[in-house]
Amino acid sequence: MNLAEKEPVEAAFEPLLQFEMEMGAFLSDWQHCDQVSSFMARMISHNRTDPVRHSNFFSSALNELLEVSFRGGSPDGQIGCAVYRQGAKERVKLTFPCPPGQRQFYREAVSKTRRGNAYARYLDAISTDLAPSRDVVLLELAINFDADIRLEESDPPSITLVVDLPLEGIVS
Amino acid sequence: MSTSNLAAQFQADFDPNSQEFSLAGVIRPHSADEIATSLSMLREAIDNVRGVLYINVKRLVQMNNTAFHAFARVLLDACRVRSDLRFVVVTSSVVGWTERMFGHLNRIEPQVTVEVYDSKFYPGQSFVENTSFIPILRTQTKMTWRHERTILPRHGMRPGMAMADICCGIGDFALLVRKEFQPGRIVALDHSRASLAYARDVAAGFGIADIEYTYGDASEMLLEDNQFDFVTCRHSLQIFNQPDVLLKELYRICKPGGRVYITNEKNSHCLGEPRSKSIQWTYNEVAKLFSHFEMDVELGPKSRRYLADAGFDDILVESFMVTNLDGDPQDFADVITAWENVYAGEMAVKRGDPPEFIERFRQGFRDHIFAALHPKGYAGWPIWAASGRKPL
Ligand SMILES: C[S@@+](CC[C@H](N)C(=O)[O-])C[C@H]1O[C@@H](n2cnc3c(N)ncnc32)[C@H](O)[C@@H]1O
Repeated sequence: MNLAEKEPVEAAFEPLLQFEMEMGAFLSDWQHCDQVSSFMARMISHNRTDPVRHSNFFSSALNELLEVSFRGGSPDGQIGCAVYRQGAKERVKLTFPCPPGQRQFYREAVSKTRRGNAYARYLDAISTDLAPSRDVVLLELAINFDADIRLEESDPPSITLVVDLPLEGIVS
Repeated sequence: MSTSNLAAQFQADFDPNSQEFSLAGVIRPHSADEIATSLSMLREAIDNVRGVLYINVKRLVQMNNTAFHAFARVLLDACRVRSDLRFVVVTSSVVGWTERMFGHLNRIEPQVTVEVYDSKFYPGQSFVENTSFIPILRTQTKMTWRHERTILPRHGMRPGMAMADICCGIGDFALLVRKEFQPGRIVALDHSRASLAYARDVAAGFGIADIEYTYGDASEMLLEDNQFDFVTCRHSLQIFNQPDVLLKELYRICKPGGRVYITNEKNSHCLGEPRSKSIQWTYNEVAKLFSHFEMDVELGPKSRRYLADAGFDDILVESFMVTNLDGDPQDFADVITAWENVYAGEMAVKRGDPPEFIERFRQGFRDHIFAALHPKGYAGWPIWAASGRKPL
């Protein structure tokens, strides 16, 4: 895709809310994932068709993403989370410091969410794994929340997960 | 750190009598170890039941993948060694993701199935959630509002309050309250998708975007505890088969010191002159008809007891009579026509009543309309408005 095609699509996403925190502080308490996801979900859902249920769905999805960054993040740098909206979709951009050795892991995890066998892989993970790995969590978002997941690596050592969630359509 | 917070956020229970293991609240552990007690409870439950184990996740508000995998692991392992057992996961259509998530387990082990409990959960549901109920609600609120706008402040309604209208129907009451009392926040919840769609349409038509219409089950709400200063629930305790359960939820979401306001009828007391006998006969039959479908449209005068039993104090009860003299008598007649259409035209038919009965039943409604429109006639519909305070 060339830039000329890409720009207008990006421009149509309107920013709703942004949150930033020192990664070290974020990592100091697991409850931050729950607290941040619940708060942001409530804030961005108030003008959705069904705010209560939209918030519940959005919080579920965002919490999983925050948990991924909690489990995989290194304490140096910032975690940033921005939410945008375009029509029935929300876009979450989650940026967090990622050790160089992990970048390939995320590339693969994201590309697995787009493969044809995603559902089979997900079922296999539920039936055999003891605990979900981070790549299964991303698969789960694609399957249960119809999430479209991409990776941006523009600003090393951080990476950005870009996740489009068409929740309005699922909720109402 | 997080373990104790986590424990406070969710509950796991096993009831051996109903063979039901239930999970409720927010379950977001860092690792499966934090929910080890609940996982062993599930294992024990599996060891102790025969035939079917129900896994009730109706009130599961949030569950992360870590917890889902851990519980799924226990169930799937059990399927492999216990071919004699079935697992029925009971979900709610309100929390849509639980149905999706637990549905996957069925793809792995057919012994696990998912049931959505609220597709058919109270006996009167099919009538009340249907679009044919909309004309009833629309005409009724038009009449009751004249009275309630002055009644509400006596029960504590003030500008700026956070309020919830539970079982909001087509949302007209929420609109009227918004205009008259300017609450700081209004959540309006109902389980009828048809009524909610209507409500959203009307609000959008007026350019109103700040009423939070939400789909939900009033007896199992997603709304958090202690959130609202004023909770209203109008004409609805009487049509749900477990009014006490509903009231418990209203109590839960109300702030301590806040008030819950309910209105209910006593249908057999609808009256009119002339033709009072025929009218009275029909409304006695209305009460019986509703009770056939486990709805108590005689609940009005029982409000005080219900509120007291639910733990409220400072209980206020008053009654008012909607009559043909309140405004245009035709408005009153329109309410009765809407009743006749649904009660005689649908509910009596559903009960299997013979045509002669239905004809006589209809006649009482027509006579009520006759009384309402008669130049010297009088027609009335009594309603009880009651409220209680959640103790501090
Ligand atoms: C008689 S109507 C009253 C509606 C509205 N309060 C009014 O006065 O116009 C009863 C309403 O309660 C709703 N309802 C009944 N049981 C419910 C439940 N368990 N959860 C949510 N809504 C329920 C029905 O869908 C219906 O809209």
